[in-house]
Amino acid sequence: MRSTVKVGTSTCGLATGAEATFRALQEAVSETGLAVSTQRTGCLGACHREPLVEIVVDGAHVLYGPVTADRARPLLEGHFTLHGAPPPPEDWVVSRTPDRRDYAFFAPQVKVTTANCGVIDPLSLEDYLAAGGYEGLRRALAMSPEAVVAAVTDGRLRGRGGAGYPTGLKWKICRSQPDPLKYLVCNADEGDPGAFMDRTLIEGDPHRVLEGMIIAAHGIGARWGYAYVRAEYPLAVKHLEAAIAQARDAGYLGTDILGSGLDFDVIVKEGAGAFVCGEETALMHSIEGRRGTPRMRPPYPAASGLWGHPTNINNVESYASVPSIMTGGAEWFSSLGTSESGGTKTFALAGAIQRTGLVEVPIGVSLRQVIFDVGGGIRDGHSFKAVQIGGPSGGCLPECLLDTPVDYGPLRATGAIMGSGGMVVVDDTTCMVDLARYFLSFTQDESCGKCIPCRIGTRKMLGILTKITRGEGDTADLDRLQQVAHTIHTTSLCGLGQTAPNPVLTTLRYFRDEYAAHIHDRHCPAGTCTALR
Amino acid sequence: MPSAASGTTARPRKTVYLGDPLAEPPPPELLAILERHRGRGDVLVTVLQQIQAQYGYLPERSVRYASRELGIPLARLYGVATFYNQFRFTPPGRIQLQVCCGTACHVGGAPAIVERLKAHLQIAENQTTPDGIFTLQTVFCVGCCSLAPVVIASGAAHGRMTPGGAESLVRDLGAAEEGRP
Amino acid sequence: MVALTIDGRKVEAGAGSTVLDAALAAGIEIPRLCHHPELTAWGGCRLCLVEVEGQQAPVPSCGLAAAAGMVVITHSEQLEAHRREVLDLLLSDHPLNCVICEKAGACDLQRYAYEFGLSESSHEKEIARKLYQDENAFLVRDHQYCILCTRCVRVCEEIVGASAIEVAQRGFEAFVATPFDAPLVETPCTFCGNCVQVCPTAALVPVDRIGKGREWDLTRTRTVCPYCGTGCGIEVATRGGEIVSVSGYGAPANGEFLCTKGRFGLGFVGHPDRLRRPLIRRDLAYSLGLIDTPPPAALGRSPLGRSPAAGETHVEVDWEIALDLVADRLAAVVKESGPDAFAGIGSALCTNEDNYIFQKLVRGVIGTNNVDLCARV
Repeated sequence: MRSTVKVGTSTCGLATGAEATFRALQEAVSETGLAVSTQRTGCLGACHREPLVEIVVDGAHVLYGPVTADRARPLLEGHFTLHGAPPPPEDWVVSRTPDRRDYAFFAPQVKVTTANCGVIDPLSLEDYLAAGGYEGLRRALAMSPEAVVAAVTDGRLRGRGGAGYPTGLKWKICRSQPDPLKYLVCNADEGDPGAFMDRTLIEGDPHRVLEGMIIAAHGIGARWGYAYVRAEYPLAVKHLEAAIAQARDAGYLGTDILGSGLDFDVIVKEGAGAFVCGEETALMHSIEGRRGTPRMRPPYPAASGLWGHPTNINNVESYASVPSIMTGGAEWFSSLGTSESGGTKTFALAGAIQRTGLVEVPIGVSLRQVIFDVGGGIRDGHSFKAVQIGGPSGGCLPECLLDTPVDYGPLRATGAIMGSGGMVVVDDTTCMVDLARYFLSFTQDESCGKCIPCRIGTRKMLGILTKITRGEGDTADLDRLQQVAHTIHTTSLCGLGQTAPNPVLTTLRYFRDEYAAHIHDRHCPAGTCTALR
Repeated sequence: MPSAASGTTARPRKTVYLGDPLAEPPPPELLAILERHRGRGDVLVTVLQQIQAQYGYLPERSVRYASRELGIPLARLYGVATFYNQFRFTPPGRIQLQVCCGTACHVGGAPAIVERLKAHLQIAENQTTPDGIFTLQTVFCVGCCSLAPVVIASGAAHGRMTPGGAESLVRDLGAAEEGRP
Repeated sequence: MVALTIDGRKVEAGAGSTVLDAALAAGIEIPRLCHHPELTAWGGCRLCLVEVEGQQAPVPSCGLAAAAGMVVITHSEQLEAHRREVLDLLLSDHPLNCVICEKAGACDLQRYAYEFGLSESSHEKEIARKLYQDENAFLVRDHQYCILCTRCVRVCEEIVGASAIEVAQRGFEAFVATPFDAPLVETPCTFCGNCVQVCPTAALVPVDRIGKGREWDLTRTRTVCPYCGTGCGIEVATRGGEIVSVSGYGAPANGEFLCTKGRFGLGFVGHPDRLRRPLIRRDLAYSLGLIDTPPPAALGRSPLGRSPAAGETHVEVDWEIALDLVADRLAAVVKESGPDAFAGIGSALCTNEDNYIFQKLVRGVIGTNNVDLCARV
């Protein structure tokens, strides 16, 4: 009998006391003398039931949660029926099947990039190899670089950072540059409030991200890679650095990788707390030791990036999708999604719903499926009001748009964007004007100040919104908001400014009555705005 | 001072020289950080991060040393240090409280938590209590949205917080800290 | 050369030029605040956005390489509306003190506000920057007038190489700072004042010109800097014959830029102590019978005493007498000790022609090669 007890100890798990649970389990194992190994894993995504503990006995899985430290011993005794202890209460059980599909949260999900998260020990290269890791790299190295780029193109992978630029095309442009020194950057500066996909991926399965980067290096001909990780993610930095060290020792990084002649290595750079550094040119300035201000494009990084050399920048999730394209094939990968974009998309599901966490769904499923099937709908008897998708660059969509498929084009048509994957659901207790004001306060705070429309325009929009939430607004303010928003959107230098008005424009479009209530009735329907209570 | 071997004699300076504030070599712990990064183009932010990790903040003198030793204009170091949220020029409290104000935390009630902590500690955001124990900050999203609202105390995340819960957390931490040097 | 169409006109642009360059060369004016022809493109002011056929959003013409066949529109209703809104936003962050402003008449922001008919901002007035720094003798930094175009930062880094200033903070709180907000004298600043010259507003003003009149009061004269052999072209702004300020104008030797001497060092021109006529020592004048009274014996000997005025130690004579005197004494020295007892040093403040004549005098007339010039660097 081979038994393993796995505890999810990502940041989200740790925040609920997973470390204490893990220690209590270790103690209980040694005291009871059970022949059980304990293991730390990443996050399975079911954050609403954390701390999560999975007990695997001869391939039979039972997932428990929440398992606080005081439940550790009764859980072990109950599960292994020691000293005639009763089995753990049924409401501790999350699921009982290996693929966890008996739990509604997991059933509609298709786990590709997060397949290993919460399953393997992220700090163990052996675990990753046992799960099929670096097989994609082996296959890629057996192919010509052009064939690798073609496979990514055929898989219809689009940039998971939010803008959705076709990844294969990006690689092709970078590859075609004559400059022999090329760089590659992994953008893990996940700054959108309400988004934690990249954190979960790196914390739970750092080797997958690394493997994707190495395959990209082969495809593009890059010599050096930078992984730019957000400063607020110390655990992700630790895991990624450990994975890089292991990969170097095992010959997946360095010179002549796996005897293929490919030379590539990765350097981890920590961000220092600036949302705008998620913008690719700002990110490059930050790596170069400059203020993280964006610059004009063209030239695009693919032609002139770090220190003037061609540079390919992709998001964590984009890289994490690549190994699966190599192993599963471009055709399989593209068949997961829609005719426009292949594969899956992870979303950080949060807010006023029953089941929050990290979910991965095929591109093209509807918002309704994500929120109601996976997320289980609104909690505490409240009713759905809006879903905020895409963070400060995205928008708030009402119930009538819930059948919109999660895909780049259809979401952009609504005024929101796909974004990097933040999805916050709000119920009738949230004021949409206040939410718009919140996002503007964020972008205003994070504006780098380089261009006038963003530096001053967001400030003025915030001022108007604050006025409205205080009950001091008038009808002309709405026109003024719209007018300034239009100029900021059209004339700002970078994506931060260009998309900053989206939360305001979408709420104005879909929840104008709430603005009207604040202005005409001096009343906040949700009761959020304290000045209007 | 010219060495005896060079054979030159020191000529008195024309004007009184009050001394180079950086005449002494950098302290060993700072020198160790700077030595690691000499001659590389991608280190400016990293150097500042490591200096801050060493001292808890960026002492002006050590930034001046970094400028001189690494040949980076001081103005650029200052511009970079003031650009990013992470850097500070004053020592922080022993316990850094960060209230997450990400979207999920905001709609989950983070503003009320911030207000409660401000009232309890009697400081504003980004300030340190007079006893030097707590520094209060707000951050935009620590990536624990499922557990919103979140308060981070000395790097440890506390999920599903309430104003009352946050206050008692701070009370407990403060009680544990009192009496320590 | 590439051919493109701007506002319906066929325009030729040189290799490597931007759409803005091409438009300006063709006499098509595009509003701009952060652009400066000698500095790298910044793209921050967003006024020079143009519409390019085939592109969805407007593009900044200052950073857009002119390409063959490109069709560009620099003025449209849409573009004008955006420019107007951007200026409107900018004016909310700028004091509209034009009636008392030193820069009135030469301020780019004032000019565009005039062109767009904006007398004030429609937005709430809020000026983030409060600093007023006048701790040095050369220039005043009044941050409230700053529009963060960063021309000063770029000129300091790219042209001067001093990197004394950089933008600090970010967003609405951003401002152009010295390290730790120290006085400029504690930075690598050389007070060349090129930042002052490129500043489009009154954020940077030379101390000497404050209160001396505005653009329309000044007469501008182009000449050559008297200081060194580089021969920089300078433009001297005067009012009533008095020098108010000096700037570069795009001369062959130096382009737009100057060093601190050329820009701030012309105070001697109108100085009361300036030498205008030859002076000879009183004792010499007495011995030559030019004056009747002998000089006081101990004058100016003590290092602790006051320094005597020129009139007490010297007397003014006319050029004839002075030159004869010099010629006599020189001849005497050469006769007594040989030509190599003499050495001549020319001055960079003289013209090339003067210095040529001077070395000719030393070599050909006096007969020595002991001649040099302080500008031979």
